[in-house]
Amino acid sequence: MPLKPIVLEVLLALADEPRHGWDLVADMQRRLHGESILPGNFYRTLRRMLVDGLIQETVAPRDADSSDERRRYFQLTEAGRHAAAAEGRRLQSLVNDRRLRRLLRAR
Amino acid sequence: MTFEPSRRRRERGVRMYRLLLRLFPADMRAAFGEEMVDHFVRRRAEAKGRAVASLWFRAAIDAARHGLGARLDRVPSRRRHTHAVQPAPRWSMESLRYDVRHSARMMMRQPSLTAAILLTLALGVGANTAVFSVVHAVLLRPLPFADPDRLVMIWEKRPFEGVFDNPVSPADYLDWARQATSFTGVAANTTTTTDLTGSGEPVQLRTAGVTSGFFDVLGVRPLHGRTFAPGEDAMGRHRVVVLSFSLWRDRFGSDASIVGRHVQLNGIAHEVIGVLPPDLEGSIGERTSTPGEIAEVWAPLVLNGGPEPPPRAAHFLSVYARLKPGVSVESARAEMDRIGAQLSVDFPNENRNHGAHVVALRERIVAPARTGLLVVMGSVAFLLLIACTNVANLLMARGAGRRREMAIRSAVGAARGRLLRQTLTESLLLAFVGGAVGLLVAWWTIGLLVGATPPALRAAGLERAQLDLPVLGFATALCLLVGFVVGLVPAWRMGAAADAEPLREGGRGPVALRRGIRLALIATEVALTVLLLVGAGLMLRSFGRVLAQPVGFETANRLTATVVLPRSRYGSADAVRRARQSLDERLNGIGGVIAAGASNNLPLSGSDSRQGIIIDGFERRADAPPTRANTRIVTSRYFEATGISVRHGRPFAATDDARAPLVVVINETMARRYWRGGGAVGGRVRFVGDKEPWREVVGVIGDVRHWGLDREVVPELYMPHAQQPSSTLSYVLHTSSDPVAAVAAVKAQVAAVDPDLPLGDVRTMDDVAARSVAARRWSALLLGLLALVGTFLAGAGIYGVMAHVVSLRTSEIGIRMTLGARPLAMLRQVLFEALSQTAVGLFIGLAAAYATAPALESMLYEVRAADPVAFVASAGVVLVVAMLAAAVPALKAMRVDPVQAVRQGAA
Repeated sequence: MPLKPIVLEVLLALADEPRHGWDLVADMQRRLHGESILPGNFYRTLRRMLVDGLIQETVAPRDADSSDERRRYFQLTEAGRHAAAAEGRRLQSLVNDRRLRRLLRAR
Repeated sequence: MTFEPSRRRRERGVRMYRLLLRLFPADMRAAFGEEMVDHFVRRRAEAKGRAVASLWFRAAIDAARHGLGARLDRVPSRRRHTHAVQPAPRWSMESLRYDVRHSARMMMRQPSLTAAILLTLALGVGANTAVFSVVHAVLLRPLPFADPDRLVMIWEKRPFEGVFDNPVSPADYLDWARQATSFTGVAANTTTTTDLTGSGEPVQLRTAGVTSGFFDVLGVRPLHGRTFAPGEDAMGRHRVVVLSFSLWRDRFGSDASIVGRHVQLNGIAHEVIGVLPPDLEGSIGERTSTPGEIAEVWAPLVLNGGPEPPPRAAHFLSVYARLKPGVSVESARAEMDRIGAQLSVDFPNENRNHGAHVVALRERIVAPARTGLLVVMGSVAFLLLIACTNVANLLMARGAGRRREMAIRSAVGAARGRLLRQTLTESLLLAFVGGAVGLLVAWWTIGLLVGATPPALRAAGLERAQLDLPVLGFATALCLLVGFVVGLVPAWRMGAAADAEPLREGGRGPVALRRGIRLALIATEVALTVLLLVGAGLMLRSFGRVLAQPVGFETANRLTATVVLPRSRYGSADAVRRARQSLDERLNGIGGVIAAGASNNLPLSGSDSRQGIIIDGFERRADAPPTRANTRIVTSRYFEATGISVRHGRPFAATDDARAPLVVVINETMARRYWRGGGAVGGRVRFVGDKEPWREVVGVIGDVRHWGLDREVVPELYMPHAQQPSSTLSYVLHTSSDPVAAVAAVKAQVAAVDPDLPLGDVRTMDDVAARSVAARRWSALLLGLLALVGTFLAGAGIYGVMAHVVSLRTSEIGIRMTLGARPLAMLRQVLFEALSQTAVGLFIGLAAAYATAPALESMLYEVRAADPVAFVASAGVVLVVAMLAAAVPALKAMRVDPVQAVRQGAA
């Protein structure tokens, strides 16, 4: 089943390193060209991903800005990696589809 | 300094956002609350100017959507629900909670459909709850008296004249009270007006004169002080009064120390001994001059204070009595029949063919409103049925879409009962949420209903209608019922569908059968709508007929005002005559007044008097009803001021004074009835028991609808005030412009004659006329409104069914068009399908209306229950609405692209 775009975005943002909430938002925002993400939508998504086992909470990395103790850090789980990879393959096969390529060229 | 305010603003923003966060489930707030605030604050810092408002708006939507949504998400602490594969659980809180959550999720998934369902249910439940609150207040709630079911009224009956509620004469009342053994007490009241002076501007008060036992018989306890003691209705001890709650509140500022003080009534000091409780208003004292307006002051009624014995021929009392325990209304009636029969033997002159009639007080108060209310209740129930049909239909449309879900759950082991319960939970949830919205509708409607209520219904207690516990109970029961009714059909269909056949067929069921059921829904809705429309049509036609009646007098630019000359200052006939003369002169002299004249009984005022008459040369047959005429005493310019037309002879002239020969003017009905060959002018009449000589008829005037536009005209006889002085002078002033502008001048002129003389019943004639048809207008408008809403719902329902039928058949239509069917044929076919069902519904509806319309008969005026106009018009309206509702889907069917439709069907 396709993942929701915002779920995939979170998975991608966590691909390299654990991040905390606002860091995640800022990273996603850069890729979404400024389309603003609101807290309700974002944290509900996080909560669901935690429940589904796609991400998990982790301790703050040592080099993190320790000034803010409220911050909770998240990292990918194995399931999360699989899900992101599966979604990536799905998108790839879509992009590789000859018909889609024709459509893209036609524009 | 600039830093502080911005920081304060930020803190306020944070506080407000925290409020929004309350929409989220607690676990989520605990885990992410602070970060969410942080997130928002950062967003807020980026925004400037108009973007701030936009941010707040989006944040609110975000919180509402995802906060409530998160409450429906699966939560980690709970067990994972996979009900479809679980062995069907027994009924438990757990499974119920799951069902409710699942239903809520389903509802949120199709917001527009859910909104349509909720709106429809809210309309249906709301309207029914509002009407029930009125029915409850008027028909079901106990009267505000102790042990009210033992209270009765006793009227004089004249069976040969078809009258069963004639007022009672004092002598008869005293005899009844002495002889009857069925009652613990008997009491009487009558109504009049008194002038309150000495405390601000003089006012006329509606006054009830009651015998001393009156409040004990009714079982009314005063709010303050006491009520009348035995013997206080005897001459000499009677200068005491009890105030109504509203007079005490409005005139005396709710001052409890009023008890024991004195007030000036008709210029004489009366001691205030008590104040009545508020809930009494509207329950007694119904025979005041204007229906629905009750007495403001209660005073003892002195029945045998004069030198002469109490009269037996003057009828003006309402009699109340309380049954002894164990005595039924029937046995009391039997006893009073015996007493009445004996009195008619003992006093043949006054009481021949008269009797006593016992009727339960509740019956007397409630009966006038009952038919109307039950008709409204029935109509609103039909409206609910239409709403239910629509909702059942919408649920089925959705059910069709969810058959796969059900089939899968069934296939993996969910019991059929379990699935039925799930669908029923859904429909019940819908019903209760719709019902909650419906309560808002009801609350609003009740306010509207009570505000627009005519006095006649208000007297029956309608203004007590409110959303109280019994009404809320009714609404709850209604929601339960609606939930089951609208859920059962789709639940049954779904249960059947769950038997796995849709899996095999790839999601498409037996279309024909389903279509059959849904088309039957059209017929049902049409039938119900026709019933509503016919009822409303009959009432509107009656109302139109009533309005079309000639009233017999002019109402435009007419002001009325009543003065009552108190006997304490105007004891002699001459004094009354003199006061009337100067009032006549002064009122006619006001600038802008074309003519001013007075009568003791104005048309549509509800006050009247009647006397037995003897007509020179007219022989009454022995079995004919007694010769009577309703009498009015008028001033010489009265006919001119009211615009009553003179048909023959002449109106009164100033020369018809006390010294001139006695003259009368009669109405056309009287002339027709007693002077069959014509020639009433010049005829002679006299009153039964009158010592005066014959009175000559000098004129015949056109008929006036004295008791209301929808009432029969009876013989009327007018006497000149100069020859028959009356202390009640209700003036009518014909003005050249807005009559209300003359009120101040009228007050000033009356005050110039006597500064202690208050003006009562100051109204325009237009207003009086409008009030007289208010009850009829109320029921016509209410039924019309219900029919309108019903028609709208039915139209929406037909549209919904046909749109769904067309969408189900898109591929079939496509195939047929590929095979050469023309688009127009498709249009015709869809229209034909809708209209054939409409025709079936029409037939059933018209037949049902024909069978039930006679229930409306008592509310109709000059319109038969089987009025062809109402029936044909209703059928026409329904046909047009059905046609319009089916046209949109039909046009869509016509535009189906065959290639696409066939490809979709094959996919």
